[in-house]
Amino acid sequence: MTVRRGPVALAVLLLILLPLAVSTDRFLTLANARAILASAALVGITAIGATLVMIAGSAVSMAASQTATLVAMVFLWTLSHGLLVATLLGLLTGVVVTVVQGLVVGYWEANPIVLTIAAGFAIGGGSVWFSGGTPVAAAGGGYQVLNATVLGLPLAVYVLLALAVLAQWMLRRTTAGRQMYLVGENRAAARAAGLPVGRVIAVAWAFSGLCLALTGVFLAAFNTSATTNLAGPLTLDAIAAVLLGGTAIAGGKGSALRTLGGAVLIAVIADVLLLRGYSTGIQILVKGVLVLGVVVLVHLRRRR
Amino acid sequence: MSEPLVVIDALARSFAGVPAVREVSFTVGAGEIHAVCGHNGAGKSTVVKMLSGQLAPDAGRILLAGEPVLLGSRQAAQRLGVALVDQELSVVPALTVLENLMLGDIDAPLVKRRRAAVARCREVLGDLGLDHVRPDQLVSTLSMGERQLIEIAKALSQRARVVILDEPTATLSEAESRRVHAAVRRVAARGCAVVFVSHRLAEVLDLCDTVTVLRDGRRITTRPAAELTVDRLIVEMLGEAPHRLSANRRPDPDLTHALRISRLRVPGRLTDFTLTARAGRIYALAGQLGSGASDVLRALAGLHPGATGRVSLRDRAVPFRSPVGAARAGIAYVSNDRKGEGLFLDKSVAMNLVGTRLNRLGGKALVPAARPLAARAGLDEVRLAEPVLALSGGNQQKVFVGRALDRPDVHALLLDEPTRGVDIGGRAAIHRLLRDAADAGLVVVFASTELEELLELGDVILTMRDGRVVETYQGGADGTVLMRDMTGEKA
Amino acid sequence: MRPERLVPGAALLLVVIVFALTPLGTGVPLASFDVYNALQGFAQIGLLALAIGLTMIAGEFDLSVVGTYAVGGMITVLTGQSSALLGLLIAVAAGALIGALQGGLIAWLRIPSVPVTLAAYIALLGLAYALSGGLSVTFKNQAATLWVDQTVAGVFSPRSLITLAAFAVAAVVLGFTRLGAELRAIGGDRRAGRVAGVPVERRLVLLFTMSGTLAALGGALLSVSFASANPDPGLRPLLIAAVAALLGGVSLAGGRGTPAGLLAGALAVALLAQIVTLAYLPDYSTQLFYAALLAVVVAIDSPGLRRTLDRLRARTRRAAA
Repeated sequence: MTVRRGPVALAVLLLILLPLAVSTDRFLTLANARAILASAALVGITAIGATLVMIAGSAVSMAASQTATLVAMVFLWTLSHGLLVATLLGLLTGVVVTVVQGLVVGYWEANPIVLTIAAGFAIGGGSVWFSGGTPVAAAGGGYQVLNATVLGLPLAVYVLLALAVLAQWMLRRTTAGRQMYLVGENRAAARAAGLPVGRVIAVAWAFSGLCLALTGVFLAAFNTSATTNLAGPLTLDAIAAVLLGGTAIAGGKGSALRTLGGAVLIAVIADVLLLRGYSTGIQILVKGVLVLGVVVLVHLRRRR
Repeated sequence: MSEPLVVIDALARSFAGVPAVREVSFTVGAGEIHAVCGHNGAGKSTVVKMLSGQLAPDAGRILLAGEPVLLGSRQAAQRLGVALVDQELSVVPALTVLENLMLGDIDAPLVKRRRAAVARCREVLGDLGLDHVRPDQLVSTLSMGERQLIEIAKALSQRARVVILDEPTATLSEAESRRVHAAVRRVAARGCAVVFVSHRLAEVLDLCDTVTVLRDGRRITTRPAAELTVDRLIVEMLGEAPHRLSANRRPDPDLTHALRISRLRVPGRLTDFTLTARAGRIYALAGQLGSGASDVLRALAGLHPGATGRVSLRDRAVPFRSPVGAARAGIAYVSNDRKGEGLFLDKSVAMNLVGTRLNRLGGKALVPAARPLAARAGLDEVRLAEPVLALSGGNQQKVFVGRALDRPDVHALLLDEPTRGVDIGGRAAIHRLLRDAADAGLVVVFASTELEELLELGDVILTMRDGRVVETYQGGADGTVLMRDMTGEKA
Repeated sequence: MRPERLVPGAALLLVVIVFALTPLGTGVPLASFDVYNALQGFAQIGLLALAIGLTMIAGEFDLSVVGTYAVGGMITVLTGQSSALLGLLIAVAAGALIGALQGGLIAWLRIPSVPVTLAAYIALLGLAYALSGGLSVTFKNQAATLWVDQTVAGVFSPRSLITLAAFAVAAVVLGFTRLGAELRAIGGDRRAGRVAGVPVERRLVLLFTMSGTLAALGGALLSVSFASANPDPGLRPLLIAAVAALLGGVSLAGGRGTPAGLLAGALAVALLAQIVTLAYLPDYSTQLFYAALLAVVVAIDSPGLRRTLDRLRARTRRAAA
């Protein structure tokens, strides 16, 4: 019968990580815990959206960084019309740009990875064109409220938690969410059963676009101006979080809450390595190796 | 013929304790075309698999030119000169004819000697009457029949002594089939032993020298083809043929609930299929692979986007070129490919049962919602949370059929081979489910190749061959007659 | 004519014509230096295009090539300060090892190539960062830098000649041994290929070893030429390599493509970049152009589009009947 290798692996990982973490100077402080959560927030928000896309069987989007950057620029640029208008326009941009890709993937079964690489560069090129290559500064005030901290934690952390719960509820309790698992596991069967395959995939992408847009808005508020490489390694970090959460890249399996765990885990590992004085390079390397390990594990479990 | 090239000596094989082939023996001489005939489950494919190295026999021997051989795998068999040509072609469409002939040929040098290879390729193609095919032509530009011939050419170019053809003409047009026949004759004339498996009995009698008939895993007879007729052959295959005297059901007079199909056409597969199927009755499409029976169902389910015709259900047009449209119009489809196109194997039984009606569930939990359906389909509700993968074939099929039951939005139930791979108990249960569904006012249409199933379940039986309906039987029907319709001469 | 010949041929011809016509727009006649520059651009992406193109022919997609490209460049710079050749050899050996490991996972555990190479890409990026401390590292072996970019016969350089040689070797190996047909069989119809006796697993390991080797060589040559190694080249080289491969007549579905086509695709992309430079077009316009091109190719390649067309055709046929 099914041996639950996932939890076993997680336990082993924690057994290695825990002594390392606890013995690290300044790890067990409230301030550090806050720092970990804060750094997990933006990657986490993007990763929650990416989880739905992956569960619905469209693997990954390679255009996350560029989309978030574009949203940040639109947000900052339209701040002159007030925070609400700017936020709504930003969210709309993110959803529209992402859902267009989702429609092509959903209805035409286009290869999502290559398509999103192309889309990423199109969006990146578009944002250079939009900004003229110079940083976009905030055209108005009012965005500081997005940087507020509540009970010592930035607002983005609460948004992350709320989104994780919302996504989990969608996946487990709504028709569209449950259909995502079916479409992701066996697209041909879902098609033959008359499920609205294209629509289900497009909904997953729309939600992912919303999450990306929220990331972009928070990035903009935090940095107060946006350059073309504002979002940095967001794409890969988000993918790493989803995969570390045990979501199968081929689709049909996964959970938003476990992605949340993946995002926090990445933040904890980065934090421990940072506090112990390891370079960014080592942090990324460890992340990559961990993801590779989880991919192999998830696959081996799925195959049996 | 001094000594037979192939001797099959008391081969036996069982699966999970159930014997599929019991002590089958026959011989094939060099230059002989030897047919193996039998109805579903007679053991043909098991014999073919053992002879081509894909399956190890439990008992018995295979002798090649007097030597006992062990064929561990298809590749090993190939090395010993035994080549198999079956529905699952091994020609790669993305490669040229020449490349395909050389692919996996262990004798071919790693570095190609092009000129010699081209010359040899031309020679083999010429042998099979494929002079118009160029060695550097992509196989994807060839017709299915020509690909089949390339498969045979491949076997020849790899110096096969024994060529096994498993249903090589099932999906081919008549002209294409004739070319395959001509090629098979040439192969035999070169001194190969040919084993030919086909459900087209007229073809078998026309082409083959000798016929071995299998029934229930046993060899019934081996005779020269000249001594047989199609009717005689059918009697040998079926033994006591199942038949029935009258129709099972009276038609529901309410024609407004009917599924009306008019001139349904799928290019290359199905020609002008017309049927008015009334609610409350079960319609059986009797046809072998390539007959078009499956294609009727697939087209109605929206899986042949290139299909044309007119379809209505309950007097409303069915947009049958998309699966979503067909489902919305009230058509539920149960594919013959349970794993690839049917169930979500890693998902729970509950999820599979309610997966197509999630919108009626609201936010309710899956297992309680699936409980009544499980009871209806005869599944143990304790297993609702288990993945479908853990169920037996019969129970999996019950889940698949159960998925379409008790849905007020479903008016027509289409099933392709509803009991394939299902044990006897499961079969009866599924048949009962279908009868209940018809009684509840659904239109039920199924496709099958099994005579017992067709006769037991079909209120109206349509025999099909080569993409057309051969005959429609409303009342009494006889297995032998159905068999002749399905397998006889080309229309 | 077959698409794997038609597409690259047409693309290259079109770009060459436009290239020859650029003086009409710029008013400056073409010099051999412009061709040299175009070939330098070709050298920059050619090996990457070949690496990813070969994996695409076999129906796989190696996302890690950009990571190997970065690591290859970094290793060359770090180990080749005294002898560039030694650094290059170490880098290529590392690339082969990286490729072989991934190929092993993909072939023997039958894991799809995308997650494996994606995770490997992240890890390799980290490795490049870790090796360099996150900064660009300067290559002080100026003699090697000067040698690799010197003009040969007016338009070539050792770097572009090495790149061309790699294509030539690939063309000979795939064209004159059965490896070429086997790779296309693996990409076109893996099941049939296996039945026909292709050793699929061993070939996949070989394939990923090749792509790792080529990517590392490309990165190594680039860092020698630039006299520095960048730990994170971003996904841009991958985009351009993918465009080159698709223009080279490779299909995302696998089973189609030849080294000669890939060469034509890579040359077309390099000439295109040179045209953009000569015409003083803004950089983002090329980016948009490549992105649009790639998106269109991907959309055309998708199975759903074919179904939609079938449906439309059936509908019009009915209307005509």
